Amino acid sequence: MSLSKSSLSLLLFILNMSTIALSDGLNLTALHSADKLKQIPSLNRAAAAVVVNSPMFKPAVEPIFSLNLLSSFPEDLEISDYCKELLNIFGQRYVAYVSCLVPAARPVTVCQKCFSSFGSLREAYANISSESGPGNVSCSESLLRGDRLMVVNQLNTSLEELWTSSACDNCVTKGLQRLTNDTLYFMNTLNQTDDCFDKYRQGNHTELCKNCKSTYQELNELYGRMEKNQTMCIDIEDSMNMTRRLWSKYYNCSVPREETVPVIAVSSFMLFLPIIFYLSSFLHSEQKKRKLIHPKRAKSYTSLMNIQDKLG
Amino acid sequence: MANITKKVSWSSRADESGATGEGTPLLNGSEQPRHSRQDSLRGRPKEIPHNEKLLSLKFESLDYDNIENQLFLEEERRMSYMGFRCLEISRWVVCGLIGFLTGLIACFIDIAVEELAGFKYQVVKENIEKFTEVGGLSISLILWAVLNSAIVMIGAIIVAFFEPIAAGSGIPQIKCYLNGVKIPRVVRLKTLVVKVCGVICSVVGGLAVGKEGPMIHSGAVVAAGVSQGRSTSLKRDFKIFEYFRRDTEKRDFVSAGAAAGVSAAFGAPVGGVLFSLEEGASFWNQMLTWRIFFASMISTFTLNFFLSIYHNKTGDLSSPGLINFGRFESDSVAYNLYEIPLFIAMGAIGGLLGALFNVLNYWLTIFRIRYVHRPCLQVMEAMLVAAVTATVSFTMIYFSNDCQPLGPEHTEEYPLQLFCADGEYNSMATAFFNTPERSVRSLFHNQPDTYNPLTLGLFTLTYFFLACWTYGLAVSAGVFIPSLLIGAAWGRLFGRLLAAITSSGSIWADPGKYALIGAAAQLGGIVRMTLSLTVIMVEATGNVTYGLPIMLVLMTAKIVGDYFVEGLYDIHIKLQSVPFLHWEAPATSHWLTAREVMSSPVTCLNRIEKVGTIVDTLSNTSTNHNGFPVVVQVTGSDEPAKLCGLILRSQLIVLLKHKVFVELARSRLTQRKLQLKDFRDAYPRFPPIQSIHVSQDERECMMDLTEFMNATPYTVPQETSLPRVFKLFRALGLRHLVVVDDENRVVGLVTRKDLARYHLGKHGLEELQLAQT
Repeated sequence: MSLSKSSLSLLLFILNMSTIALSDGLNLTALHSADKLKQIPSLNRAAAAVVVNSPMFKPAVEPIFSLNLLSSFPEDLEISDYCKELLNIFGQRYVAYVSCLVPAARPVTVCQKCFSSFGSLREAYANISSESGPGNVSCSESLLRGDRLMVVNQLNTSLEELWTSSACDNCVTKGLQRLTNDTLYFMNTLNQTDDCFDKYRQGNHTELCKNCKSTYQELNELYGRMEKNQTMCIDIEDSMNMTRRLWSKYYNCSVPREETVPVIAVSSFMLFLPIIFYLSSFLHSEQKKRKLIHPKRAKSYTSLMNIQDKLG
Repeated sequence: MANITKKVSWSSRADESGATGEGTPLLNGSEQPRHSRQDSLRGRPKEIPHNEKLLSLKFESLDYDNIENQLFLEEERRMSYMGFRCLEISRWVVCGLIGFLTGLIACFIDIAVEELAGFKYQVVKENIEKFTEVGGLSISLILWAVLNSAIVMIGAIIVAFFEPIAAGSGIPQIKCYLNGVKIPRVVRLKTLVVKVCGVICSVVGGLAVGKEGPMIHSGAVVAAGVSQGRSTSLKRDFKIFEYFRRDTEKRDFVSAGAAAGVSAAFGAPVGGVLFSLEEGASFWNQMLTWRIFFASMISTFTLNFFLSIYHNKTGDLSSPGLINFGRFESDSVAYNLYEIPLFIAMGAIGGLLGALFNVLNYWLTIFRIRYVHRPCLQVMEAMLVAAVTATVSFTMIYFSNDCQPLGPEHTEEYPLQLFCADGEYNSMATAFFNTPERSVRSLFHNQPDTYNPLTLGLFTLTYFFLACWTYGLAVSAGVFIPSLLIGAAWGRLFGRLLAAITSSGSIWADPGKYALIGAAAQLGGIVRMTLSLTVIMVEATGNVTYGLPIMLVLMTAKIVGDYFVEGLYDIHIKLQSVPFLHWEAPATSHWLTAREVMSSPVTCLNRIEKVGTIVDTLSNTSTNHNGFPVVVQVTGSDEPAKLCGLILRSQLIVLLKHKVFVELARSRLTQRKLQLKDFRDAYPRFPPIQSIHVSQDERECMMDLTEFMNATPYTVPQETSLPRVFKLFRALGLRHLVVVDDENRVVGLVTRKDLARYHLGKHGLEELQLAQT
């Protein structure tokens, strides 16, 4: 398919020689060398001018060529009607799911609201990817892996990722039929708490903190259990987050820091202990002494003083 | 071990020392009158407080040099080609075993710490949660402090009362051992047991310590034990690896064990090999390096494999070290050329902080040696430190206002909410209420805004002093992790401040990256290791691209730190009065010659010596000599005899035990000839001379040392300069170097302590004093 370097340089040589030869050469090899020519850094001005000055090459060649390409496809490479139909269904369901997702983005209710449309999307995709259709036609080859872009596949993958990271599987029964009982129960408790908040919203917040504490605690514990069991999806997490934020930040019901004095007292006592320890061991423990030993040397002027004398 | 005939003058007996000082003839005339100051110094009662300028008498050299006597030559001749091949193979087997067992020990420590610490933190956490609401948090504080001190008490008791040598990280001791110093009891089985239990207790007890340093010591003990094929403590002899029962072989295996320990601790096999290379490099060869690498690899993958079983992921070999720095994704923490000056600046900070750490720890250690030397006091001190650590941590957590939302992946093992809003946790608690390893990892990898600058600053400050206070306690624990933690904290702070200063710089100023560089800088500033530490850090992070910055940082930290004070391990070696030989003789010492360095006169033995003389020489408690030049008298002259060999105390004791006397050999012709095996069986705990009974008749017998002495000891002439002597001594791993005159007559003897006493101080060349410790 590609021209070798030597032939390219030959071509350039010809370019410089005569323009007639050039046009011939290009005609012959237009398809292959069109982009290669652009990459040659040593391309001289003449050649560049020729490329610019001959605009009829590209527009003239390409449309004809692509038309030819389409029409030249044999029958069996073309996409079947059955597959077209599948693709169509996938498209519709995709749109449906996405249009469900977007309004459910904040506050997050993507699992509760959209699990059924996701189920049908998944079904549509499963149909496409299944190896055997009616009449032994497989659409997965042509629709999913037919080209480099793999549009259908990528679209589906991104939504699958969204589903996985939202952990909706934890809130929906197998087969995506309905929400699990745990989730419903949680929602129920959450609603109770919200009602309570609504009831005492006006007036003093301390009132709210006192009266709603039990329901809130219940909700908190339920959430803790679900966290441990790994039966949570993004909906639950998000709504719990919101409720907690309301409780702690908005209504200011967090535990206050009250015992500063006893903590300081105990810790300063503890910090005081080492001082006593070190003082007492300094005063009462006898200092460890080392007995020096003077080895005999052949010449005693190697002593420390002498070294210093010599150096100093 | 100093080999001198003069009666050693005990410092308390001033009169006697004065008398010997005048009475002993000196070779080149007495120079006493010229040194009146020295005399007056000698006249005083010579008891001084412990300081760093002492050499202890209790340390001896290892016999690294091969004793080439006739028995050895005979055995070598008898040994077949196959025998040598088998020996080589068994060396590999031993190294494999060392790696395997070291990995198992690391695994055991890791699991024990994880389980026990998990339990402790769970208990405290529940307690804190309970009391946050109803009040009474001071009770939680007391509970935490009491739990900590109770656990630490166990660790401190076993260390202080049963095996004091197991205290600390063990790296200084192993460094000394690889340097050629025989540290008493350092490679015993008991030490290993105490070390392992001690380190578990101190980490679980919440001290500011790590379990990595002790791994190196443990690996070394395993190596010393396995290579001998027997346990003297358990009185079991498996009758294998008998050939390896001598200091030369044992020390090679110990270096393999230390490497295996490093490699298990950090998941850094190459770093382990380089650690051994850096610490004991003068005795090195290619095959040994390769074997050590083998041991390292086996060790890290044993740990790997068993941890994967523990984590229910059998066969997944992805947790290679005790400390796992986690993966640094190369794209998010890439560095740029303009960051290099910043890294170097961080290295300088690390050097300064490291020097401060070392100076503080130096004064503390001196105080401890002088005043806190009784075991019960040491235990109390450790308990107090544990309690204060808990108190300080609790106070920090209590007053911290830094609340962060819980991460989605729950990297925090024990999140404490305390007064934070629901769904958030106290970020000071992730740093303090956690095992140090986990804290390091969260400092490296948590989201950039996880810790606010105030938290990081306070944490650095408190942990710095806690770690400094903790190192040197009578518990077995390492300093690697605390250093990393301090460095990671201020490194992260540095990164956050950078990001704040440069408004658009938040992309490149990733706090995790600066935490890593800070950790390297701090660790380098404290321990001052170079090559091996670089490789260890690179291997532990699993990212080679960090090689350059880490190397630069460690270099800077070392240069800056060395300007002020030595590395922590060197300080502790000095404070233990170990005769440690550095790479080179001190500079400006060329004018010193062997004649001035050596001990003289020397106790020599005749080639055919009377048993009584030998026994008397050996039992002389004031001169605990270890090597004796063997001389032969020139007939018909009263000149000093000529040197013909060197024999060791251990050999003489074995000879006396087996009663290898000339007269007995004549009377009993069938007597079995002594073999090298008899010497090996007594190794390494040769019986003391007092336990050998020699009857009055036997004292009159003669002993022929010809067969047993090393017939070709290394000698130097008197005029050899100190650096030359030093080089010979250090490179060959000698224990005794005989100084002879031009007619091969023994003039003096150079030993380790004679060389180690010179060092370059502030006022030029200084001399250390020998002391009884």
